[in-house]
Amino acid sequence: MNEIKTLIENSISSLFENYRDSDAVATMESGGFPEKYWRDIYDGGWTRMALPEEDGGAGMGLPGAYLLMRLSGYHAVPLPLVEALLGTYLLGIAGVPIPEGMLTVTIADSGVHPPGGGEEPLAIKRVPWARHAAQIVVLFPGEHAARLALVDRAECVIRHHVNVAGEPRDDVVLQPGAVGKIYELPGITTERVSAWLALGRAAQIAGASFRALERTVGYANERTQFGQLIGKYQAVQQQIAEQAECAHAARCSVDAALLQIDSSQEWESIAAAKIVAGEAAGKVCRIAHAVHAAIGFTQEHSLQLSTRRLWAWRDEYGNEALWAKTLGDLCLGLESGGLWPWLTRQTSN
Amino acid sequence: MNFTPIVLTETENALRLEVRKFLDEHGSFLTNSCAIDSWFVPSPEFSRLLGKRGWIGMTWPRQYGGGERSYLERYVVIEELLAAGAPVGAHWFADRQTGPLLLRFGTEEQKSFFLPKMVQGDCYFAIGMSEPNSGSDLASIRTEAKRVDGGWEVTGQKIWTSFALTARYLVLLCRSAPLSNDRKHRHEGMSQFIVDLESEGVTRRPICNLAGEDHFCEVFFDNVFVPENRLLGKEDEGWHQVMAELAFERSGPERFLSNFQLLAEAVDLLRTSSSCESGKQLIGQLIARLMVLRQMSLSVASQLQAGALPVNEASIVKDLGTSFEQDLAECLRMVVAVEPGYDAEERISHLFSSSILKAPSFSLRGGTREILRGILAKGLGLR
Repeated sequence: MNEIKTLIENSISSLFENYRDSDAVATMESGGFPEKYWRDIYDGGWTRMALPEEDGGAGMGLPGAYLLMRLSGYHAVPLPLVEALLGTYLLGIAGVPIPEGMLTVTIADSGVHPPGGGEEPLAIKRVPWARHAAQIVVLFPGEHAARLALVDRAECVIRHHVNVAGEPRDDVVLQPGAVGKIYELPGITTERVSAWLALGRAAQIAGASFRALERTVGYANERTQFGQLIGKYQAVQQQIAEQAECAHAARCSVDAALLQIDSSQEWESIAAAKIVAGEAAGKVCRIAHAVHAAIGFTQEHSLQLSTRRLWAWRDEYGNEALWAKTLGDLCLGLESGGLWPWLTRQTSN
Repeated sequence: MNFTPIVLTETENALRLEVRKFLDEHGSFLTNSCAIDSWFVPSPEFSRLLGKRGWIGMTWPRQYGGGERSYLERYVVIEELLAAGAPVGAHWFADRQTGPLLLRFGTEEQKSFFLPKMVQGDCYFAIGMSEPNSGSDLASIRTEAKRVDGGWEVTGQKIWTSFALTARYLVLLCRSAPLSNDRKHRHEGMSQFIVDLESEGVTRRPICNLAGEDHFCEVFFDNVFVPENRLLGKEDEGWHQVMAELAFERSGPERFLSNFQLLAEAVDLLRTSSSCESGKQLIGQLIARLMVLRQMSLSVASQLQAGALPVNEASIVKDLGTSFEQDLAECLRMVVAVEPGYDAEERISHLFSSSILKAPSFSLRGGTREILRGILAKGLGLR
């Protein structure tokens, strides 16, 4: 399994590296769609990563998908891989044939029932890349399980917005009749999908954190002032060490959550990952910019490819405060003396 | 550097319930005064009880009385003891590092002599490294061992030596060759010795810290004879041997569970307090950090099991862990408002008082924060 993982990692990294010096990011930032980049990823079967082998997947389940998400964060890929991977996975579970075009995913508010012909339009805010998606996987809360609809972008009115990294976060209004067939997602609630999406951001943060760390170490080992490399100064070394700690904590938190998918500790492991990754993101950015100084603050320098994403992603799918309040609420709901047993409980494997 | 997480097996987790049952039976040992930093509270009686249960030297070979269990099984046992605030101080250094050190570098005679006694929980060790003029700069130590007939003669002084009064033996790092003027060679010429603290010429004095504990000591060596068979490992290789201990010393759960009892108590109190709502976010943040720290520490334990010496990873666990410990009291006092006091009737006040007063030591002991970050910087390629 480890050999397969390495092969996959090398293969997708190769693809991402091919686009490093391309104008894909510039295309995104000017409102366009990096068509060729998307094609290469789709045609390589990468969006089907989480599907079983018989459905064209890699048979690695969600952990395989999150490996891609982390790498996409590292390489600042200007495409909604988190949503495309999870959308494809959910369609697979619902038994819906995987469409050709780019997918994105969104969750409609609780208490809203899916409209069928002639109902009110349904407004959903900040849907990643809706303007360029062919279809939107829309999830609705159900009593025991979420329900899913595959909506054509053409049936929606789209208002363009972006996050601080320049990534599309469009407001969408589903027109009456846009929602056709409703599919069941057995065993999966919207709460669970929310958590998976949040874990996707945490994985991207882990990737981008390591890229920022690498850039920072590289810069400290190149830039000289007062007759020596700035990386020789203890003040600089201490900060970069702290930055490395944050990156490793973020990465470990995500990897640990992946081991808990489908276990009874899935939710809180994801909560911990989103909190720790979110906290890491801020510190990683602060230190990266401190070390790079003025040059790193420019649009032209590539540091901002990592840091603008880190700032954007930590606030998406729930920031640290939201996740911490819910986790704290859970812990305060335990019985007296129950904290340690809860922290160490484990379903047998 | 990596922190590949692991999932504990059923066998490993089974020990958890055994330890909890044991702690229930011996609950009288879990007092307010050992709740914080319980791995610095010596209790020979408790250590012997643990020894009887086979919970000291768990990973050591059976021929020396060990249990030949895995590092992860040991991990489960010690995290249960630490989270409960159990007084494991007396045998702590022996179990955590001196035993592994002997297994790696000791002679057959040394292993056969010391390990079985350590396993029983009544043979205690202290570690002699720091000196008044050599703290972070450990390589500048001046205590020296001179060759004499049949062994060595040690002269000098150690300080901050925890448990030098409780322990019978000391693992001493000292010069066995003159300190080199050449910076490149300053790590050469040091050796480790096992010193019997009851030897003639040894004087031990306790040093009280501001938290009222006196596990610290000064130890003076006035021409103390150390027999040949108590040189530990190779002559002049002491520095490298010490470095090999660091991954064990720095990565364990004691680096983030020293004041877990404060967190547990605060959570219990918040449940029914008017600050409950405002405390939720803080509790969630602290628990998230604790969960991830535990995963990182478990990962290092599994790497140690595989025979690696992940020194950089251990430094990260220690730095993040001790920062967490130091943040606990500082953050929790904002949602559980208490005037801390040692002699207060409320347990929470006592726990706060202990945590706050002991906090500075968390990031000093076993390598200061600044030194650890310097080591990490080197590992990142900055030096």
